[in-house]
Parts: sequence; C-alpha cells; structure tokens
Amino acid sequence: MNAPVFEPIVGRYLMVPVLGQQCRIYTEEAGSGIPLVCLHTAGADARQFRHLLCDEAVTSRFRVIAFDMPWHGKSYPPPGWQNSEYKLTTELYVETIRAFCAAMALERPVVMGCSIGGRIVLQLAHAHGGEFRALIGLESADYQQPWYDTSWLHRGDVHGGEVCAALVSGLVAPQSPVEYRHETLWQYMQGGPGIFKGDLYFYRVDSDLRGKLTGVDTRRCPLYLLTGEYDFSCTPEDTLRTAEAIPGAKVTVMEQVGHFPMSENPAQFREYLLPVLNEIFGEKA
Amino acid sequence: MSDSIDSGQVMQARVLANRLRQAIEATFATDSDLQRRGALVDTCCLVEIGAEQLLLTIRGGRPIVSERIPLLGSWEFAIRAGSDAWLALWQPVPKPGWHDLFALCKRGAMRIEGRLQPFMANLQYFKDLVTLPREGGSQ
Repeated sequence: MNAPVFEPIVGRYLMVPVLGQQCRIYTEEAGSGIPLVCLHTAGADARQFRHLLCDEAVTSRFRVIAFDMPWHGKSYPPPGWQNSEYKLTTELYVETIRAFCAAMALERPVVMGCSIGGRIVLQLAHAHGGEFRALIGLESADYQQPWYDTSWLHRGDVHGGEVCAALVSGLVAPQSPVEYRHETLWQYMQGGPGIFKGDLYFYRVDSDLRGKLTGVDTRRCPLYLLTGEYDFSCTPEDTLRTAEAIPGAKVTVMEQVGHFPMSENPAQFREYLLPVLNEIFGEKA
Repeated sequence: MSDSIDSGQVMQARVLANRLRQAIEATFATDSDLQRRGALVDTCCLVEIGAEQLLLTIRGGRPIVSERIPLLGSWEFAIRAGSDAWLALWQPVPKPGWHDLFALCKRGAMRIEGRLQPFMANLQYFKDLVTLPREGGSQ
C-alpha cells in the first residue's frame, strides 16, 4: 500500500478574542523560522496562499501562517452574526490581525497582505510598525478610485458567488495558468452572502489613507509594495503614488500578474517575492 | 453616422463586427460550453463597435446575431466601445488595462448601460461571449 501523500500544510482552529467577541479562526501553517503572516483578499480566504505554504525556498526560513478572517473560508462569523450586516472597518481589521498575532504568541512577525490586506499593512506600518519585523503589501495603495456599484454583489436576483467571481475575473492576468485562474475564481464563488461587499466597505469607505501615512519608519520596519501590471483595481500607479509619501518604501511592479499574484500565478509571483524575503531574512542575520 | 467619420474607421468597425458575428456563430454551431453556462439567459443586447451595431437576441443561452436593427427595435442593455478598444481586447495577449470589459470601462473606452440585471446575473457568460474573437477567448 502506498503511503498517503500529504502537503506540508497543517490547519487548526484558534480561539481569538477580537474587540470583545470570541472568534474561532481557522489557520494554516507550514515551515519554521521568522513568522510570516499572510492576509487574503476581500471576499476570499487563506487558500490563496497554498502555493507559498508549500514552497521550501520560503518555508525553510519562514514559518508561513495564513488564516481565514472571521466570516471567511472555514472561520465562522462570531455568534449573533445573523442579526447584523457584515462591514469590515479599519479598526476591526487592525485589531483582528493584532489579536491573531497575540493569540499565536508571534514575536515581531512579518505581515504580508493582498488587496484589502495590502491596504491594512499600510495602516499597520503607520500605527503599529514597532510590532512587526517587516510589512509586505501586495496590490497595495492608500486609496483606489471605486470602479463599480457594489450593490450588485449582494441582491436576490443575482447569484452572489457567480457575480463576485465574474467581476474579479478581469483582475487576473491573461498569462496566468488556467488552472490557477479558475481556482482563484472558485474562492470568490464560495464566499458568504454579502461578505465581499462587506470587505469592500473597508476598502472604499473606511480606509482612505491618503495624507494619513505619516510617521512610517521603514528603517525600523521595512515596507515592501508589490503590484501586478494587470491590476486595474489597484494599479501600479496607485502603488507608486502611495510609496512617494512613505520614505524608504520599496516598490516592485510585477509583470504578467494581476490582482491575486500568490494565487493566480505562484511561479511568477515567487520570482518577485523571494528577493524581498531574502532581504528580510538577511536583516535578521 | 457623421460625415466626418473616416471611411477607414467605418471599414474597420465593419470588419470587427463581422469578426464578432462569425466567432459567435462558429462557437454556437457546435456544442458550446458557453451555451451550457448561459442556459437561463433570455435577453436582447446591443453590441456597438464604433459605428457598427449588432443586436444579440439570446434565447436559452443561444444568441442570434442581427446586423440590421429593425425600426423601433429594442434591447435591455448595450455594450458600446470604439474599434480601438475592441481590437485591443481581442489581442491574443491584450495589454494591461485593455484586457477586460471593466478595465476598458474604467479607462473610459467602453460603456455598459441600460437594464443591467440580465448582464450582471450572467456576467461571465457575457464577458466570454463578447471576447470570443480573442484567440483562446477570455480565459
């Protein structure tokens, strides 16, 4: 009989108190070394980082940790959710990340977030930079021009999962492998009703950081911003404009990549990420 | 049609409209995955390519393409763009910002207007349908 073939990823549930609510958070990890906490995009979940979690060039030096935000993936909403509309706010997002890191007893982790995760690392750099070894924003900007009416994402006469996936399908680069394009879209098809829309409340309404990113000390906490050239939601120009206001921020524009680099084209993404991780690892040495 | 429109532009729009019509007809002539995915689509939409217009009457996911819009003809929604935008969208590997309907809308090169519920309820179907002239489709 052949031995079972497991990936190195291990998943567990962690109890995390967030702003007075007890959250049961699903988290996956692999590797050892510097903690690298990964934040998924709006309306999706931590499966987006499955390739990174299996990349020995990363996991040999970093303890890669990816968790599903409450309301996403395998993390249930907090008890009583049925009586409220889900809206992610800057405060809730920051405190969820900080509470997760505290519950995991992580010491000055690196945090890497994509899209809304890319936005929140800017706020972390601004308000809590001392708690982190480095911050990496993927598809990250202080603000993006809203480009569609989000009411389409949650209404009775349009299938939420299908419309969310179809909306973001154009944010995947044409060069991305078909298998991973559709895996990425599947994540959106599986989101809970109104969750993508609720995440975008943070993105569009509650986190315009233009002119607010003062005091970011990139010598104490290096900040890396990587954006795909096919991302027309958070464009390379948005990221470059953001970096201009943050002395020391390092920008990379990734070719042949869209809004979901780690998920849509992991091979292409790692070509850009590994030099960043090498630099962070070198800082430790 | 304005007299000021260059005859080359008119010709290009006509060629592109013909290309879309042929791509749709060829796709649906055989068993099409697109028809399976659009089995519940039942609507009329206008596709405008420069000065050219195509009316797509879709029943059970199968479009019938009309190049002549009848007097008082109507449709639920319209997708309008110039020839340059459609041409860019249909490149085998389109350039960033020219690779998706909403990318084109965001840059002001396309307009999607009208009663959008049928469009949004079948969004990937319509994205794929009007991108059929691209080699490999919108995948």
